[in-house]
Amino acid sequence: MVRSAVKTIAFRRLPSGDALIKTAVFSYIGLIVILPLLTISMQALGQGFSKIWEDVTQPQAWYALRLTFISAVAMALLNAVTGTAMAWVLVRHDFPGKPIVNSLIDLPFALPTNVTGLMLVVLYGPVSWLGKYLKIHGIEIIYAQPGIILALLFVTFPFVVRSVQPVLMELDKDIEEAASTLGASRFTTFRRVVLPHLMPSILTGVALAFSRALGEFGSVVVVAGNIPMKTQVAPVFIYGEIESYNPRGALAVSLVLLLSSLLILILLNRLQHWGRERGT
Amino acid sequence: MKKSHYQMFWALAIAIPLLLFFSESALPQQARTLILGAYTVPKEAYQQEIIPAFQKYWLEKTGQSVKFEESYVASGAQARAIISGFEADVAALSLEGDLAKVAEAGLINHDWRARATKGMVTQSVVAIGYRTGNPKGIKDWEDLTQPGVEVIYPNPKTSGGAMWCVNAIYGAGLKLSEAKTGKQDLVFAAKLLHDIQKNVKVMDKSGRESVTTFERGVGDAIVTYENEALLRQFEGVEFPFVVPRATILIENPVAVVDRNVDKHGTRDLAEAFVEFCLTEAAQRSFAKFGLRPVLPNIAEEFKAKFPRPEMLFDMSYLGGWTGVEKTIYGPEGVWTKAVENIATGK
Repeated sequence: MVRSAVKTIAFRRLPSGDALIKTAVFSYIGLIVILPLLTISMQALGQGFSKIWEDVTQPQAWYALRLTFISAVAMALLNAVTGTAMAWVLVRHDFPGKPIVNSLIDLPFALPTNVTGLMLVVLYGPVSWLGKYLKIHGIEIIYAQPGIILALLFVTFPFVVRSVQPVLMELDKDIEEAASTLGASRFTTFRRVVLPHLMPSILTGVALAFSRALGEFGSVVVVAGNIPMKTQVAPVFIYGEIESYNPRGALAVSLVLLLSSLLILILLNRLQHWGRERGT
Repeated sequence: MKKSHYQMFWALAIAIPLLLFFSESALPQQARTLILGAYTVPKEAYQQEIIPAFQKYWLEKTGQSVKFEESYVASGAQARAIISGFEADVAALSLEGDLAKVAEAGLINHDWRARATKGMVTQSVVAIGYRTGNPKGIKDWEDLTQPGVEVIYPNPKTSGGAMWCVNAIYGAGLKLSEAKTGKQDLVFAAKLLHDIQKNVKVMDKSGRESVTTFERGVGDAIVTYENEALLRQFEGVEFPFVVPRATILIENPVAVVDRNVDKHGTRDLAEAFVEFCLTEAAQRSFAKFGLRPVLPNIAEEFKAKFPRPEMLFDMSYLGGWTGVEKTIYGPEGVWTKAVENIATGK
């Protein structure tokens, strides 16, 4: 009897397993993610808004941000289409070597980014046969903007595919068959039945790809040429500012990238939520 | 096992490691460690000749063996690393400005410039590399301004060493105009820089990376350091180059990092190493790897390998490192403006 009484008292004193896990997880996120982000934000904001604005609107910084955003958007749109198509093929079709192709999708995650850059330069660079051929036809890929978009596309390729794949796999074919029996063409079925279902996952993949592209350094710095106000993206600009003892300029532009990524993620989170609530 | 055997086993298991641990430190310390924080260019010279020679010299002199821990990264990055806590005993950097930053941070409190040879240990000059056979006829700075000539050099923002290249171009403009009219023509120099920058399509993060890009086949000409070209030639690679008539003298400093040597108790070692780098043997080693020696008699010995440009100038001609920070790289600086003008199509 004494033993059971002690047990009850002892266990009532201990925090419940649930609370323990919650605390542990939040501490982990706080330490690894939130603390560094807060620190950099505080340091940047500590300079005062006018200084930040000054640093951001300086021609080289402004151009770098513009180039980064435009390239990221272009790449995101491309990725939305190609990533969805890739997921569709992987889920709905069978072909020899499918497991290998499926594993290859994740290759960009495993490859170091500067290796990606090197790979692209060797393949499309002005000295390769492909690069020379394209140059004759007036197309420049490496050391020009298309190269930047290509590098971004490669490193963010898995995001959309892997986002859409599971949703597509779970999709009940019954709905599509029903639409077909009601007279819908395959394209109409896809557009009005399947796509709305996939939209949230496509948007998630696009958001991830876009945010990643904003900050991509390793591959772009090898591929782009990095001429200020021509082929220099924001992460490379930030690196240059750090290296030339101008952390203030670096912080200001970093803050812009940080806030943009955050905004995009929140926005798309809301969109998804709204999409789910509509009951599609 | 019997109980007494267990006891003996545990007694030995605890005692032996303890004995070993304490006897280690009881032994007279024969091996000492010296930490070198250097930039990338002299790596081969240090690793292959100067460090082994010093280790031999110190062993013969004191009976102590010296272990070296070295780091070779871009000069600016190395300076920043030392400032943020990398405990280098000796700092060998590419430019005076970087070493000055280390001193400003309180790590060096002796006047390293007061040493013989002004604190410098090697020299080089900015040179222009071109393709085998020189199809574009590169001979001097003006040839780099011609349309259709692709030039590459590193980004002065990401590499302190890269600033030598841009400084050389601008300074050459000043020198050339001075030679012609007796006065420095800032407009002429700015235009020279502008016209060359216009032909630049790739700016790598450091001088070494620029050489790699050039060797990969990009560009018709590369603005680089003479020692990079000589090193590649020494390694058997074809790397023709020309030293322009007007170019800048690159001077590389080395210094003992006071705070770290006092902490590690390696002051005697560090000072001996710095002195050793200025001995004839070490200077010859540097020369072998393409770096110009600072000792006058050794420089004389290698006169043929390192011809003196007719219009050689150094950083003081441009107002020193603090001067160029503003006049060339500042928000209204010549290079900044050149880049902006090129981008906006002026």
